[in-house]
Amino acid sequence: MVSIRSIPSEPSSLSPNDLPWRIVHDENRCTLCGKCAAVCPVNTLKLSYMRKRMPRMVLNSSERGSNFKTFVGIRQSTDVGRRCVGCGTCSMVCPNEAIAPVHNSTDRYKFQATAGGDAAKRGGRRNDASSSLLDRIIFNRISMLTDPALDAGRHEFTYNTILGRVLPPEEYIKRKLSGEWIPPTREIFPFIIGSMSFGALSPNMWLGLLQGVAYCNEVLGIPVVMATGEGGCPPWVLKSPFLKYIILQVASGYFGWDEIIRAIPDMQCEPAAIEIKYGQGAKPGDGGLLMWFKVSKLIARLRGVPEGIDLPSPPVHQTLYSIEESVMKMIQSMSMAWNFKVPVYPKISGSTSAKAVLNNLVRNPYASALLIDGIDGGTGAAYDISLNATGHPIATNVRDCYLDLCKQGKQNEIPIFAAGGVGKNGNVVQNALALIMLGASGVHMGKFIMQSAAGCLGSEQNRCNVCNVGICPKGITSQNPKIYRRLDPDKVAERVVETFQAIQVEVKKVMAPLGRSQSLPIGMSDALGIADKDAADRLNIQYVC
Amino acid sequence: MNKQIIVKGLDENGERISTQIFEELVQEAFTKSHDLVLETYGQHNVGGRLKSGGETVNIEINGPCGQRVGCMGMPGTKIVVNGPASDDVGWLNIGADITVKGDATNGVCNAMAEGKVYIGGSIGARGLTMTKWNPEYKRPELWILGSCGDSFAEFNCGGVAVVCGIDAKTPDNVLGYRPCVGMVGGSIYYHGKIDKSYSQINVKAVLLSDEQWQWLMDNLPVYLKSIDRMELLEQLSKRDEWSMLDAIPPQERALMKTGPMPMSEFVRTIWNPGFGGGDPLRDLAPGLDRSPIGLIETGDLRRKKPFWANRDKAAPCAYYCPVHIPTIDRLKLMREGKGDEAYEMLMEYTPLPASVCGHICPNLCMKNCSRQKIDEKIDVQMLGRAAKDKAAPKAAPSLGKKVAIVGGGPAGMNAAWQLAKSGVEAHIFEKDNKIGGKLAQVIPWERMPKAIWDAEIARFMSVENITVDFDVDMTKEKFSELQNDFDHVIVAVGTHSPRTIPFPGHEKVIPALDFLKDAKSKNPTKLKGNVVIIGAGNVGCDVACDAYALGAEQVTLVDIQQPLAFGKEKAAAEALGAKFKWPVMTKEVTDEGLVDAAGHLIPADTVIISIGDVPALKFLPDSVEVITVGGAGWVKCDPAGRTSDPKISAVGDVERPGLATNALGAGKNVADSLIAEFKGEEYKPFAKDLIPQMSLTHTHYAPDNQCGVSESTEADRCMSCGTCRDCHLCETICPEGAISREKLPDDSFQYVSEDDKCIACGFCADTCPCGIWLIKPF
Repeated sequence: MVSIRSIPSEPSSLSPNDLPWRIVHDENRCTLCGKCAAVCPVNTLKLSYMRKRMPRMVLNSSERGSNFKTFVGIRQSTDVGRRCVGCGTCSMVCPNEAIAPVHNSTDRYKFQATAGGDAAKRGGRRNDASSSLLDRIIFNRISMLTDPALDAGRHEFTYNTILGRVLPPEEYIKRKLSGEWIPPTREIFPFIIGSMSFGALSPNMWLGLLQGVAYCNEVLGIPVVMATGEGGCPPWVLKSPFLKYIILQVASGYFGWDEIIRAIPDMQCEPAAIEIKYGQGAKPGDGGLLMWFKVSKLIARLRGVPEGIDLPSPPVHQTLYSIEESVMKMIQSMSMAWNFKVPVYPKISGSTSAKAVLNNLVRNPYASALLIDGIDGGTGAAYDISLNATGHPIATNVRDCYLDLCKQGKQNEIPIFAAGGVGKNGNVVQNALALIMLGASGVHMGKFIMQSAAGCLGSEQNRCNVCNVGICPKGITSQNPKIYRRLDPDKVAERVVETFQAIQVEVKKVMAPLGRSQSLPIGMSDALGIADKDAADRLNIQYVC
Repeated sequence: MNKQIIVKGLDENGERISTQIFEELVQEAFTKSHDLVLETYGQHNVGGRLKSGGETVNIEINGPCGQRVGCMGMPGTKIVVNGPASDDVGWLNIGADITVKGDATNGVCNAMAEGKVYIGGSIGARGLTMTKWNPEYKRPELWILGSCGDSFAEFNCGGVAVVCGIDAKTPDNVLGYRPCVGMVGGSIYYHGKIDKSYSQINVKAVLLSDEQWQWLMDNLPVYLKSIDRMELLEQLSKRDEWSMLDAIPPQERALMKTGPMPMSEFVRTIWNPGFGGGDPLRDLAPGLDRSPIGLIETGDLRRKKPFWANRDKAAPCAYYCPVHIPTIDRLKLMREGKGDEAYEMLMEYTPLPASVCGHICPNLCMKNCSRQKIDEKIDVQMLGRAAKDKAAPKAAPSLGKKVAIVGGGPAGMNAAWQLAKSGVEAHIFEKDNKIGGKLAQVIPWERMPKAIWDAEIARFMSVENITVDFDVDMTKEKFSELQNDFDHVIVAVGTHSPRTIPFPGHEKVIPALDFLKDAKSKNPTKLKGNVVIIGAGNVGCDVACDAYALGAEQVTLVDIQQPLAFGKEKAAAEALGAKFKWPVMTKEVTDEGLVDAAGHLIPADTVIISIGDVPALKFLPDSVEVITVGGAGWVKCDPAGRTSDPKISAVGDVERPGLATNALGAGKNVADSLIAEFKGEEYKPFAKDLIPQMSLTHTHYAPDNQCGVSESTEADRCMSCGTCRDCHLCETICPEGAISREKLPDDSFQYVSEDDKCIACGFCADTCPCGIWLIKPF
């Protein structure tokens, strides 16, 4: 037994310098107001009393000894389970700029993140702080005197995209004349808010996003749509006129679908589309998981499950056995639910097998699109190994699929949507237009909109990323009203609106010099360049330097 | 100089003169006259760059006019085009007044900075674009009788336009499609209809102010006269038919950044009605309040909450002591000047504080004392010894019950002590002729002074309700009688049957128990030469010490494993010269000594075996379940010492071997359990958890160089783990002033934290020296 005077050392004992985030506290500036410790989401901060010893020389032996001085400071716990996650909320509330987390690149925590025999997990993003390939693609075909020079500020632009199956003209005319079924399409803004469920997101975040989306449509005329993720949709929303801005997701857990089916007869309009989730870029081969502490009464009611239980979505749809069967069962059933008037498309993880899926969809008359989610996608909860090292980058995946469609002459018929790391470093329009010019018809963005519209604190240096445990300091991914009420849905909506307005501006700023104003430059890869010969060759774009 | 000169655009052969040659002719004519008639034939850039030095320059243009008439026009130049004009009239004009009697095509006034352009008809696209106004000069003006083409006034940054809408080319939309994109300054007066395509983030539709109306009425006749349409003056002088698009200043535009509709209005008029006029979650979660809150909240919005958990957790001293003597409470009483009460309380727990706490106990309480993190542990032995002469507690009124206790060792003694003070008759039946069990029989007086022991035994024997029968040999029959005569029987016979090993010569070996009893007797047997002790535990060490005392020259302790001896016993044996030898497995004992497994002899005159003792339980009735461990039977008990027979309990070594304090604790537990039973109450064993060291704040105490000096230094040094010492520090540290001390009616106190002030920073818990404040999720 370690004596009480001693300091025990265990394999997992860490010193402050071993932690991924170091709290730097300036005792001279601190007023001990307690706000940092009150707000810290992981309760790592505590008021620490420390003692200083000042030996003094006294010749009279009865008075010999040291002077002691006690001083206080805010210190972080070195307990693995209560380590600082670097969110910086302490700095936000500190009245004196006396405290801040600082990233420590030499942390040893990563070797200890296996307590209880479980591998490390988190929410958020892939921890890859290097610049993404998409950030390095530039638009280098500038129209000046050769083509009509367009002015982003002055000219009018059409940059919406089509979600849905586009028939070849002769087929369209033939069907139109004969009154045959024509596949449903939607004209939407090519920046789609990617699937994040009501449950993964707090009610204030989810409704705030939808409110902003509704504003973009109803007030500004920007046809933005958002995808819900699995987990259903509140019945009043299903019955509202805003349903048309929502892509409903069905995934392997089928959570929330009882309420959706129940509401169908009362719907005022149709949903924008139905997304069938087969895979997710952040955690390919892994299902969804809403941890029990996020299954509040509200979420339980919405998903049709008991309160406070884990809600796993299996990695695969248990009753689907092949592409053919999936397509038959899922796409046809979901199409039929709305009388074949709503586009239905699958979402898959980025993969070397994406082309096989796409080729199957090409042959399926009901398939409306394909969404490919690359490795840089985000998630509410996943194992580190899945987030960091499993999956396929989106750029080549989209490119290969698009060029495959081109070979078949089908590139204008079935749209490919791209997701996974769009805007991961803030360059959302650059990334999206690069993907569009590589062949995507539009992009889905999740993390970016969380950062932009709600101030998500996550970063590729594993900052915050505690979405999985429901303690999001901003209230984005928590189901605890004491936390999610920090997020004002009206403010989220305003930020959504500002974000999309700004995206519009940037899209025009890229399209104008390309000389394109009347259609989105899908597949316009002659306008792309990259100062990386290998990437240029692989993507079949220009190498520039 | 003022003689009019005509410059022709066709040469004598009727061929068109180039723009360059024509310009040279005009400039040459200008040196001779400031009154020129230009008979143009499509020459461009005509009428500009004519700098007169203040004098008016009149240019009349007849014939087909080329592009950019009046381009780079100078102040003082007056150009009249007697017909229509081509593109870019007044391009880069910096002051010329240009009148076009007919229509003009695209680009009128593009990038013009000063001057007036009067158009007698309509204009084409992109008029008044990028038109400037340098405040040092006069504002540029563009007057149009008819209408404008599309994209009018783009990026206009100061130019004023008046569009009259007379004989307009597009009468339904006199300003054309999407005017004013990027317009940042200037204004557009218009008369007639427009559509809504004007750039609403750049300009706003306003009515003319009095001043603006006056300006219009002052200048309109000049314009109409220039284009020979004075007859329209009356028609165009109706104020209510005029409107204006005025540039929105950037400050105002910044306020419009979230779009043309405030979010609150959107919520009211579009969002809420979309859900039937209420919160979209009202059916799923009735009454759910989602209204915004801040990061730092009080009351029910806190995620955690402090609790003043005074005496909720046990201090290490009370927790680890098998009797659970609350040393911190004794020291608290001493600090409060209640020394007598402190000893009274101690006597409630044990009849042997001076002998056991003060001498032979390894003091588990102090092994774990929190104070060691600062300087030295509290000296509890001193505190125990100080209780030597304190009085026994007074007995409570009789409960009318009597309990037989078989065995008067520490377990039986404390059972009797506890029962007696609670008013139960306790009758001890002791095999020996003295009470105290092994404490009295085998512990050397060096380790437990006889004077102290005798004093404590005398105190014990003096307690009313305690009776002791000595020299009682317990049998099944006798035990059965006790069962009949008493309400309960407690078996506390300890272990008095030495364990032996049947190696050859085992009959030559003396059991330690017998040796120690003999050594402590009045006439102990003397030893000589070499003594070997099999079993090198602490009892073996006691044997070694006594062996030296009785004449042994060299004592060797052998063991089959690393010796378990520790502490004072081991140190005492080593100090006398005892040697430890291991691993040694005994093969046999001969007259020469001990032979080990390898056949080597360890010479010995006497061999003593000290490998433990086991209970002798032949008297026990079959109703008491016994389990066999290590070849011996031990009574099976619950934590309160109750056996399978509800009328029989067993405590002390008879259940499992332990320290004297374990026996004292077991005796107290069984007594407490019986007293509760007799009183018809629920037995509440000691169940407090140990206070975590983490919850104490050691740093408040500085190392003291006066450790263990007196009872009062120890009282002062005690950290009062888990019990509030009323230091008020929580009150001091609370940044919100939420904590206060409340006096309670019984003269005690509590500290409370006000919910509506507390922000749950946890500073109270981080600060509390005693670990009283806890912060828990809420």
